[in-house]
Amino acid sequence: MRWLFSFLVLALLGAVQALSSSGSRLLVVLEELAEKDKYSEFWDDLRGRGYTLSFESPKNDKLSIFKHGERAYDHLILFPPKTKGLGPALTPKLLLEFLKKDGNVLLTLSADHPTPSAIVSLLLELDIHLPSDRNTLVVDHFNYDTVSAGEKHDVLLVPAPKALRADVKNYFEVDGTIAVPRAVGQGLGNATPHLAPILRAGSSAYSYNPKDEAEIVEDPFAVGEQLSLVSAMQARNSARFTVVGSTEMLQNEWFDAKVGAVGGKEQTTTANRAFAAKVSEWTFKETGVLKVGRLQHYLNEGKKNVNESAVGVPEHNPGIYRIKTDVSFTIELSEYTSTHLSPFTPPATDDVQLEFSMLSPFHRLSLTPLAQTANSTIFGTSFVLPDQHGIFNFRVNYKRPFLTSVDEKRQVTVRHFAHDEWPRSWNISAAWVWVGGIWVTVAGWVAFVALWLYSEGVEKGVKKTQ
Amino acid sequence: MPPKNRHPTSASVQSSTPKSTPSATTTTSSKPLNANTAQDIVQNVWDKYVQRTPQRVKLLDSFMAFLVAVGALQFVYCVIVGNYPFNAFLSGFSATVGQFVLTASLRIQTNPENKAEFETISNERAFADFIFGSLLLHFFCVNFIN
Repeated sequence: MRWLFSFLVLALLGAVQALSSSGSRLLVVLEELAEKDKYSEFWDDLRGRGYTLSFESPKNDKLSIFKHGERAYDHLILFPPKTKGLGPALTPKLLLEFLKKDGNVLLTLSADHPTPSAIVSLLLELDIHLPSDRNTLVVDHFNYDTVSAGEKHDVLLVPAPKALRADVKNYFEVDGTIAVPRAVGQGLGNATPHLAPILRAGSSAYSYNPKDEAEIVEDPFAVGEQLSLVSAMQARNSARFTVVGSTEMLQNEWFDAKVGAVGGKEQTTTANRAFAAKVSEWTFKETGVLKVGRLQHYLNEGKKNVNESAVGVPEHNPGIYRIKTDVSFTIELSEYTSTHLSPFTPPATDDVQLEFSMLSPFHRLSLTPLAQTANSTIFGTSFVLPDQHGIFNFRVNYKRPFLTSVDEKRQVTVRHFAHDEWPRSWNISAAWVWVGGIWVTVAGWVAFVALWLYSEGVEKGVKKTQ
Repeated sequence: MPPKNRHPTSASVQSSTPKSTPSATTTTSSKPLNANTAQDIVQNVWDKYVQRTPQRVKLLDSFMAFLVAVGALQFVYCVIVGNYPFNAFLSGFSATVGQFVLTASLRIQTNPENKAEFETISNERAFADFIFGSLLLHFFCVNFIN
């Protein structure tokens, strides 16, 4: 039945043509709607991917991201306001509520105007730190654009980002360099695993206040690759919040600007358009989305050779098992990319793991990919239940940077041996001595009874004859 | 008349001749009780036992000795090798111990010397109780060892 249901859903998805896996209503909050045209190529790209855009100003009284307790929009793009804050409809508390209800947010910052304290406190909630001096921007004296910022060095040319770690897939790969004009650098806190930098500044970049007249910068906010130009935060419910340090990098003029690197011979075109597409794809849950299909566990006591991959096992997901029996577990994982589900392959050095745990895991096993269907990979493993009875959970807990979290739990009871499931005494070789002891006693007893009765008879007989 | 004096001994007192029993006494019916050493004491006890006890009681005693031997063997084995299936050890050992107790009670009830105390219980009744108890014991032991 689960098969039918998932096929139905897939068919419906295909009919609707929405590309994001979590909805297509997008709200753009711009203080001056006249600036909308500067980003027209970005809007066209978004519309081409199936979003319906609404444009509002934060000063609008009627603006509300919630309606009747639910989200009125699926995604938000917030542009930096020139005034004090984002208005009463977009307080940090409301934006966090929006995240808690699985909405995604793309926030941009600009160094042209000081970042309002509301936004600074919102980012602090997510452990993203902005420089305390509100007028700072990121400058790099070795990787700047000679064409537009030959003197000020405030337009950074950053190469396309590489994979965050060897075991994380890179969702932001583009061809070319990315121009980041007048960015506000962010520092990411260490406290949570939910933060990841998408685009880091070069190792020669630093953050400073251009109005500061000093020759050298003492005690800068952050330098080098500690400065994150585009940061990503994915909450536990997989809601995504991206901070783009430079609003201007989304503008039309930077989408295909000609830039020249320091010491470079010729001018190249920026890859900003492609990069903006990748960032918005990730933020609005078009890429890096994992879906769990069928999950089943069953007793594998060797009756028949079960082809666990394709066919559903008839008796699966029982509520109760016995200790020390063979059990198999399979789970289907798909990765959603823009339009369709495809089989999920974890990176080469990474593993999807199954935990079989009561209070802490008794088993933690790597799931091997057993088979692939059209939409998903089936991961599975077999193991022997531990010698402990109780309430256990099959848990697949797969949380990786830039991927939605997978946390599937199934609870089962594991019972002890029933009274007739213990091995018989003659099957335990150590017990043969005692078995023999009992039967020797019984044999002696039978002999004694025979002798007693016999001697009784003889006595009586003797007495009678006498 | 001088008392019968079959063996000229020194200052030992002669005890009365033993009662007639079905088993023949092999000794020459006098009791030299110069029990100086422990070995002599044991020998005397043994001789008295052999002379005095009825045949049937001796049968009972031999069965009890057999049970003690089997039980001791099992216990020594347990001490040396360990009591791995503990229920098996308990079952085998308690078979011998329980059987010993039942046989002991049968002996008490059927010993002619105790006849005065057990007038209401005939030997047959005692033996029937013994059989019943033994069967229960065997059933329990076989069940407990699985």
